[in-house]
Amino acid sequence: MHSPLSLIFRIALSVILIANHCEAQSSGEAVDEHLRSSLRDVTQFESEIKPLLQQYCVHCHQGENKSGGLDFDKVDIPTLLADNQLWMKVLSNVRAGLMPPQEEDQLPKLGRDKLENWIKSKVFRIDSANPMPGRVTLRRMNRTEYKNAVRDLLGIDIVEQMLPPDDVGYGFDNIGDVLSISPMRLEKFIEAAFKAVDLGVPKDTLAVPIRTYYPEDFVDEKGRNGDHLSFYQARTVSKKIVLQSAGKYRIHIYNKIDGDAEPRDPQECRIHVKADNVEFFTKQYQWADNNWTEDDCFIDLEAGEHEITFTTEPVFPELKPLRTKMEYRIVSVNVDGPLERSKWEHPPGYERLFPRDKPPTDPEPRRQYAREILKSFSTKAFRRPVPETTLNRLVELAEQTYSLPNKTFEEGIGQSIVAVLSSSKFLYHFEQAETSAESSSTEVIDEYSLAARLSFTLWRSIPDDELFQLAAAQNLRANFKEQVARMVADPKSAAFVQSFSNQWLQTNAILDIPINSESVMAMEQAPEKGSGSEKVAQALPNNAASEDPNAIPRAGRGVPGQGALAQGPQGVQGRGAVGFGGFRRRREYAGTELIPSVREAMKQETEAYFAYVLKENRSVLEFLDSDYVFVNAELAKLYGVEGIQGTELRKVAIAENNPRGGVLTMGSVLTVTSNPTRTSPVKRGKWVLENILGAPTAPPPPNIPALEETISSSSEKKLTQREALARHRENSLCASCHARMDPLGLAMENFNAFGRFRDFENGEQIDPAGQLVTGEQFNGVRDLKKALADKHKMEFYRNLASKLLTYAVGRGMEYYDIAAIDEVADRLNQSEGRFSALLLGVLESKQFHHRLTVSATDSLANANRAIEEKK
Amino acid sequence: MKSSTTDVSHANSLSVSNPSRRDRACSRRRFLRASGLAMALPAMESFIPSVGRAFAGSADMVATTSTGAPLRTAFLYFPNGAIPSAWWPTGNEKEYQLNRTMQPLEPLKSKLQILAGLNDITANPGNDGGGDHARANSTFLTGTRIKKTNGADFRAGVSADQVMAHQIGLTTPFRSIEMSCDVVLNVGACDTDYACVYQHNLSWSSPTTPLTPEVDPRQLFERLFGAGTPKDRTRNLEIRRAQKRSILDFLQSERSDLSSNISRRDGLKLDEYFTSVRDIEQRIAHAESSRSARPQPNRDAPEGIPESYTEYMRLMYDMLLLAFETDSTRVVSFMIAGDGNNRDFSEIGINDGHHNLTHHGNRNDWIDKVKEIDLWYVQQLAYFLQKMEATKDIDGNSLLYNSQIVYGSACADGNRHTHVNLPILLAGHGGGTLNPGRFVNCNDVPLCNLFLSMMDRISKDSPKTFGDSTGRLTDI
Repeated sequence: MHSPLSLIFRIALSVILIANHCEAQSSGEAVDEHLRSSLRDVTQFESEIKPLLQQYCVHCHQGENKSGGLDFDKVDIPTLLADNQLWMKVLSNVRAGLMPPQEEDQLPKLGRDKLENWIKSKVFRIDSANPMPGRVTLRRMNRTEYKNAVRDLLGIDIVEQMLPPDDVGYGFDNIGDVLSISPMRLEKFIEAAFKAVDLGVPKDTLAVPIRTYYPEDFVDEKGRNGDHLSFYQARTVSKKIVLQSAGKYRIHIYNKIDGDAEPRDPQECRIHVKADNVEFFTKQYQWADNNWTEDDCFIDLEAGEHEITFTTEPVFPELKPLRTKMEYRIVSVNVDGPLERSKWEHPPGYERLFPRDKPPTDPEPRRQYAREILKSFSTKAFRRPVPETTLNRLVELAEQTYSLPNKTFEEGIGQSIVAVLSSSKFLYHFEQAETSAESSSTEVIDEYSLAARLSFTLWRSIPDDELFQLAAAQNLRANFKEQVARMVADPKSAAFVQSFSNQWLQTNAILDIPINSESVMAMEQAPEKGSGSEKVAQALPNNAASEDPNAIPRAGRGVPGQGALAQGPQGVQGRGAVGFGGFRRRREYAGTELIPSVREAMKQETEAYFAYVLKENRSVLEFLDSDYVFVNAELAKLYGVEGIQGTELRKVAIAENNPRGGVLTMGSVLTVTSNPTRTSPVKRGKWVLENILGAPTAPPPPNIPALEETISSSSEKKLTQREALARHRENSLCASCHARMDPLGLAMENFNAFGRFRDFENGEQIDPAGQLVTGEQFNGVRDLKKALADKHKMEFYRNLASKLLTYAVGRGMEYYDIAAIDEVADRLNQSEGRFSALLLGVLESKQFHHRLTVSATDSLANANRAIEEKK
Repeated sequence: MKSSTTDVSHANSLSVSNPSRRDRACSRRRFLRASGLAMALPAMESFIPSVGRAFAGSADMVATTSTGAPLRTAFLYFPNGAIPSAWWPTGNEKEYQLNRTMQPLEPLKSKLQILAGLNDITANPGNDGGGDHARANSTFLTGTRIKKTNGADFRAGVSADQVMAHQIGLTTPFRSIEMSCDVVLNVGACDTDYACVYQHNLSWSSPTTPLTPEVDPRQLFERLFGAGTPKDRTRNLEIRRAQKRSILDFLQSERSDLSSNISRRDGLKLDEYFTSVRDIEQRIAHAESSRSARPQPNRDAPEGIPESYTEYMRLMYDMLLLAFETDSTRVVSFMIAGDGNNRDFSEIGINDGHHNLTHHGNRNDWIDKVKEIDLWYVQQLAYFLQKMEATKDIDGNSLLYNSQIVYGSACADGNRHTHVNLPILLAGHGGGTLNPGRFVNCNDVPLCNLFLSMMDRISKDSPKTFGDSTGRLTDI
């Protein structure tokens, strides 16, 4: 047993650190004072809080059957009061209405408020006038941020996969604590920097002007382009180009012959390439399976407009085309020149880095010019003014290189840019405080840090010039709202949409998660007896009994017998539609399979939906329930929405009785919460608790196997998920948590493992009705959504605030962040959920603008460690 | 108008056309070209390493066998345990029949030991509740309880391979290599309130520094041997080293500006960075001092991650073999897949996730599927070990003979999340110091005891204890 006094001493110590007013006192006095105040707290606990616990909680949370491992009776009071983790759980359970359980006496509102306030003010010591801002651990840039920053600095895209994936904490990829660096990772950052410089920093002052054209640039009179030119057709596609000056040009033709592997096609094809009707290249091609060739042609051209044409000519016109394809495909065409050195120009993007026409030749002006360039570049890269010492070293580095024989000035600058992009000042988010400290324990971050926080939150990249200039002039805080609005409107905010929406909803996996469409479909169509089509024929009339009688037209459901299942995998190309991969004719998509393009559409829907709520400043409650979806033709098919054509996603209104609308019924969410062959109501229920209500379940108790184990293999019939779960809940160890998760997940059972609506599972009609652990009855997902939006919106607001704050400040939420989260939630509530209330609430919070001082951070860490060790 | 035509086989050097587009086209093209090639390793007879010879007879050299050849150590981790009934052999120490899962190892039976009775109790729940997969993964090589956290203050322990890397130092171009076939997706959450670092990393150079494994065979290859054609590689590597040296000087010099006003945790993060800078510097210095002595592979770099999982894994095993054969490193950790991995194995006709299936609830059809997956993993192991056996080392023994290779998991029965009597194999003769061809009962001791005994074989100054060790394994 610990001595109570030593425990109180430790609590008092942490209290001092948190309450921020020990500066005037000697530490001894402070401890005395806080000993006294802690004792006062103990008294208050005894008189006001303990009776509440006695009446409503201790009943279960004590003695041998201490529910959830919590025993209010056993522990001594100071230990109890110091356990922030414990009270976090109490607070979230009580607020969510999960405790006391529905069947027990309910805590009256007054008592609940009292308990809440007591936890916040006495246990967490939150001073609402001066909340503790916390401090993010020095953050490394993640690979997405790195890629975007390089894009904004050099105007080029590097491949993100050059860098290893980043570790994730608290659901996000930008958490300072977990972003580490190892020799291998640093090596990759340096290699990426070399690559970026290779692509984005010109190697010389002048170069042959380059023009690159793609198949889509070459068109015929009907507007068809030169991507696929059949061996069997005589066709001509052309591109008009304008040249500034006369001279010798090199035309580089990069093409491929693409024939199906079998059978070998005897047709041959002659290609004529002409400039202004004068042929300068011709070649005859035979059948080949993916044969890539490149040719260089040199021609003289005058200044002015020219037309480059490609003509295909079948060599054996009498041959009939085989059923396989045989094509000539343009990959790219370069028109480079004039090749005469006197006519060379600045390489593309030269002006971005090099403001002068050419570098000076004398050493000193040359050095000065290098300094000018590197100062501007590194200031932008480091997001704050660059120390002279750093600048001197960078100039020296450039000079070392450009002084070598055969090295240009530009290559010297390139070498220094590699150094900038590998530097700790670039790779880490160093933040500084305003000089005037707020108190001994908290400080305000300076405007450079604020500008970077904003840009990395909303753009996942470095600040642009406008933002940086405002920070430099100390004018950013004064123009804060305007800047946020400007940044949200900027296309770069797509990075925020993509990162935040997919991480909040855990939908990043949608592109890769294994789903076996065939097994999934088989499960919902397998009847008890007889063939599939019989069963469905019987089943369809029962549709009216399901919650969704009309909204989803039957045709969209891929009834077997129409061959939906028999079709097998569809030959659909993945991302990048102009890919050069196997070209096969596309069968019409029936909505009964999760194909790559549908996965992509699901991901896009999640992002488009989020972007809409953000940009139109809609209510965040529309994440829970709405009357619209974002679909393209294929996703519409899967959703059973009719009349949608094309691959572009668009917002589509849905009928009132359609269960879609909102994140709960999005294909992406329904899929990532499923197992490869079937739905998982438990995963879905858990998902709702964690990502919508912010009420995490207790993890499964050790050594209790997952759900499926209770289903004995000797079962005579396949159980529906509902039956299986019901068995699971017969075990009281499982019941307490599963009673929270299962009804939520079961409400979504009408959607299969890739989000398609269904009425049956294993031949049984699905029953999506249920009751929340808080008592609300519902009859399927539509009711559930309403219940969440009406009765649980505060939990949702708080959860969303907590997620966005985590993402924005790059650290997990602690007990002392509760006040900030509550404030954002209140703001949301007052504005009927407008997204701007969420965003500004977070971006204007103390947590975003302030931080703990170094000494307070270290002391807090010490105190936490001490408490943990005692445990 | 004049015209002339020349065929050029490579993208011409003058053109700097749209990089992303061109890159895409090129890499596709390369892929197509390569897909026609068998991914076989070239004959390695051309490597007559001269480095190793220098060590001959010097018994005090670290990670060196009695003949002077390098002693290699590898830790191969497979996820989610193995169905015990199909894993464990029947019989006694000397006379035993391999069970179904180990059938592919039959030809190598005399080259490996099947170790029973090894435990990783640091992976048990204790007071931390669920999260057995995260724990299994990060305790396997550390034998240290990991802190349950979603991020803040995460903490594991230094892993066995890193202790060995420290013992060995810069004898070879790389102190250690970490690799994996588990391409991490950011799915937002990992195992029950454990930060993903625990499930994504097997090796830790400090309790707070996980070592990200390399997943791309091409990048791994280029890191070992340089970029470009076999002919240009060495030269390219040298040029890049020279470029890097001055960059690294700059990075190191920046340290002086940064030390003030950072918290202790920030300090740890910065230390990681500057330790890495130092590490690369040392490696470059070492490489330059031992230039041209090192054998180089005469194969092309692999193309990237193959679509087929079998091909992918074999390619990674090829890279591992190459690293050993060229004496690029003497310690490798290979997290074949992180524990809890839920990859679907439709490639072998199993359309369900591995982790998912391991919670089979005693359904026979599920158990059978897991057995198939267990078998598949062992087939890939057999592929690797056979190649190790077929490759001659400088002393005339096989690479496998001069190695100590652990293949195992920190989950025993995936269904029940147990961490005792783990499935562990020890392959190789350790250069003559191991006694393979046996089924050995280690009698309920920590897995770390095995690691300690392996460390003993690397240098005399191996640690007294490691992780939760209670002693050493004398009978291996």
